[in-house]
Amino acid sequence: MAEPSVSPVDDTVPKVDELAVGEDLVFQQRWWRFERFIWGVFLVVIMCDIAGLLGHGWLADAKASTPDGSLAIDYERIERGSSPSTMTLHFGPTAIHHGNVPVFVSDSVIRELGAQRISPQPAVSAIGSGGVTYLFSAIGGPADVQFQLEPNVPGLHQFRISVPGEPAIEARVLVLP
Amino acid sequence: MALSTIMRAAFGYLFLVLIVRVIGRRPGEQLTPFEFVLIFYIGGLTLTGVVGAEASLTNAVCQILTVALCHYGLVLLRLRSDRVMRLLDGSPLILLEKGGWRSETMYRMQIQDTDVMNVARDHGIRDLASIRLAVLETYGQINVMPQEPETGN
Repeated sequence: MAEPSVSPVDDTVPKVDELAVGEDLVFQQRWWRFERFIWGVFLVVIMCDIAGLLGHGWLADAKASTPDGSLAIDYERIERGSSPSTMTLHFGPTAIHHGNVPVFVSDSVIRELGAQRISPQPAVSAIGSGGVTYLFSAIGGPADVQFQLEPNVPGLHQFRISVPGEPAIEARVLVLP
Repeated sequence: MALSTIMRAAFGYLFLVLIVRVIGRRPGEQLTPFEFVLIFYIGGLTLTGVVGAEASLTNAVCQILTVALCHYGLVLLRLRSDRVMRLLDGSPLILLEKGGWRSETMYRMQIQDTDVMNVARDHGIRDLASIRLAVLETYGQINVMPQEPETGN
């Protein structure tokens, strides 16, 4: 039969009034300071969230437009992963040619920013040049198209949107996990 | 991605350990209704972010294994380092000693004299003056030691 291993008992727990309590008040006072700091951090995080610094809020909303006014977009510069959002493209009268609006959207909008649905549906879509060119039927300006996004790749992503032949809009979106 | 689900599970566990530690220990041997609400609500909210759209059994198994490994790792660290043990468990704290309250400890731990007296009554102690030492343990329970009876000649 194996012998159980036994080691001597040392009186290692500090005593108070002859009782082994093991209080460490120096550590505890440091912990209370840390707690006060961390409650402050929690408050700052919530304030940032309300303000939109963590996406879906006032500071996250962004607008960009071309100098000639042919295209303007509303988007969120800070997105949250696996959380839906909307990017709206506003086309001016100069973007409409012969009853159609062509628009080039870079691959990053489809892949990294996770475009799920386009409203209204484009009449034609063609791939190439690092993105997709959509063709929408339009009877006159102004006209809007909405991209429903659901990003699933955290990180900083650049995208490019343009009406072919007109200046492009380039912007970046930070996707939080 | 498999790695991101594993990282989410580990982050969720460590984040909850921090939150529960900061929220702090409260006196009492059983959870109060408030603490039930807190634990279930925080657990549920964490779950939505940790699991996300990955509702497969494979994901559940892998995330549970991740949490188990994280927990085992913390327990090992706690065992081998006094500093980690202090960080995770805190220190036992004296609430009443030699007839005097530790007022800062009482205030910071949000404990009132009635909490100490509740425990004292369980031990058959009639009043606060009959307590020699009251200690808030790391697991949230208050322990009291009665004054030793004076021995007359």
